[in-house]
Amino acid sequence: MLDMTVQSIITGLMMGVIYALITLGISIVFGVLNVVNFAHGDFVMFSMYLSYMIGTALVWDAVQTPLITIPVLFIFGFIVYYLIIDRTLRQMYVVQLAVTVGLQIFMRSMALIIWKAQPRALQYSIIQGNIQIGPYTILTSRLVAAIISLIFIAGIAWFLNKSWAGSAMRAASDDLDMASLVGVNYRRTYALTFAIGSALTAVAGGLLMSFQQTDPVGGIRFGFLSWCVLALAGLGSIPGLIISGMIVGVAETVTITFFDPRSRLLVIYGIFILVLWFKPRGLFGRK
Amino acid sequence: MNHPPKLQVNNLTVNFGNLMAVNNVSLEVYPGEIAGLIGPNGAGKTTTFNAITGLIIPSSGKVFFNGHDITGMLPHKICRLGMSRTFQVIKAFAHMTVEETVRVGAYNRCNEKNVYKKVDQIIKLCDLADLRDKLCSDLGLAILRRVELARALATEPEMLLLDETGAGLNQTELLSFMDLLRKINMEYSITLLVVEHVMQMVMGVCSRIVVLDSGEVIATGNPESISTNPKVIEAYLGKRVPQCY
Ligand SMILES: Nc1ncnc2c1ncn2[C@@H]1O[C@H](COP(=O)(O)OP(=O)(O)OP(=O)(O)O)[C@@H](O)[C@H]1O
Ligand SMILES: [Mg+2]
Repeated sequence: MLDMTVQSIITGLMMGVIYALITLGISIVFGVLNVVNFAHGDFVMFSMYLSYMIGTALVWDAVQTPLITIPVLFIFGFIVYYLIIDRTLRQMYVVQLAVTVGLQIFMRSMALIIWKAQPRALQYSIIQGNIQIGPYTILTSRLVAAIISLIFIAGIAWFLNKSWAGSAMRAASDDLDMASLVGVNYRRTYALTFAIGSALTAVAGGLLMSFQQTDPVGGIRFGFLSWCVLALAGLGSIPGLIISGMIVGVAETVTITFFDPRSRLLVIYGIFILVLWFKPRGLFGRK
Repeated sequence: MNHPPKLQVNNLTVNFGNLMAVNNVSLEVYPGEIAGLIGPNGAGKTTTFNAITGLIIPSSGKVFFNGHDITGMLPHKICRLGMSRTFQVIKAFAHMTVEETVRVGAYNRCNEKNVYKKVDQIIKLCDLADLRDKLCSDLGLAILRRVELARALATEPEMLLLDETGAGLNQTELLSFMDLLRKINMEYSITLLVVEHVMQMVMGVCSRIVVLDSGEVIATGNPESISTNPKVIEAYLGKRVPQCY
């Protein structure tokens, strides 16, 4: 019993880092553009299918596929920004909601048309096997996925703090008018932010495909997960984001281990609601 | 003046519904001068600034900067041409440090290689070295005024529009701020247009003053002629006595 608990916590912590990576994408878009991309989970689903296609066609390992999917999703993000997001920025909130929910439905339908309803998975990853620590097993594929996620999260944190474009993004997030008045081109900054948010789902998608399958409605779960982690973390704290991802990851794996796997979305939703009740700005959110 | 104006505003009008916030305002600012824009509360000073810097599109009229028509141009493009500003209300980047804030402005002209040199220079000029790693949300008003000036200066402007930068400062802070303004004007030859309620500041630093009342220009001239102009006195007495220390 204790062993099982510890085991599921270990697995949950590793999954949590990937969730944090997924959430980072929706978080920077929300923080900078003040737009909630309801299709974010479907970007993950879409990335997973792309990884599947590339992995199958080129006989690549899933973790290599982001080499191609990152640029593809980056460009996809740019296009989506200029085609639909840009036009809704000065509109009412419901309009933004409608276009991103619409995008979600569009992507899900496209996935159904292209890949049919059946789930797809890649061959076992080259990073197979596991590390045994006493009675506990750490799957190497998950560990590698967690480490790569951490590297990307750290990279984005560095980018936001030190680079020209990252500074512009943070400035635009704090005060758009003022940022423009000191030379920040807001449209380009917004487009770049959206494209980066989108490209991050490509990384997550490739990592997830190294041990999971994908299906056209899988986006719901990732969307849900990312709102929940974002609600927990609040805006602006990268360590808070990672811890929140881990909390959700652990809650999920513990539920799968001890209850019904099918109830995991309920648990995540439960956390989401509890956070909204008691900590509407998240556990780590800035003022 | 024999130079062409740095900033020329022709018949600028801004309506908010039925309200004429700015009504047919024309003014010039010449290279190298410190000009003042004053007027009672609600006279339209901030709105004039907003229309000049591209934050709002005027209902009619034209704005020329260095002879270029910049009417309705996006703010970042105007900034690129060499004009930036500060605000009456503090508009700090709350979640950024002083250094990061200044860096945002510095990228207007610098790349990653030389940006820190610029940042260091501006931070030194504005006497912010001890505070460079402090978050803006942790700083007080007087310091934020200097941070905002630093951020605008970092864009390497030819002209700056300063909106009530003296508001809320005590006597000592005000004097050091005035010194800083004179310094950036003299040493960096930045043309200034300042909106100010603090008369000591206006009279102390401006060589020419434009007075607005209810959206219209009621007087233009040097500080002495303005302070004795009956129209100006009436405009102020009718509303609010200028703040004198
Ligand atoms: N966005 C807006 N919508 C409607 N009315 C506005 C808006 N901004 C300003 N006004 C009105 O326009 C008039 C001029 O305002 P403005 O802020 O330009 O005055 P000001 O000279 O800067 O005053 P103060 O000295 O108080 O800063 C005021 O009557 C104000 O209420
Ligand atoms: Mg004002």
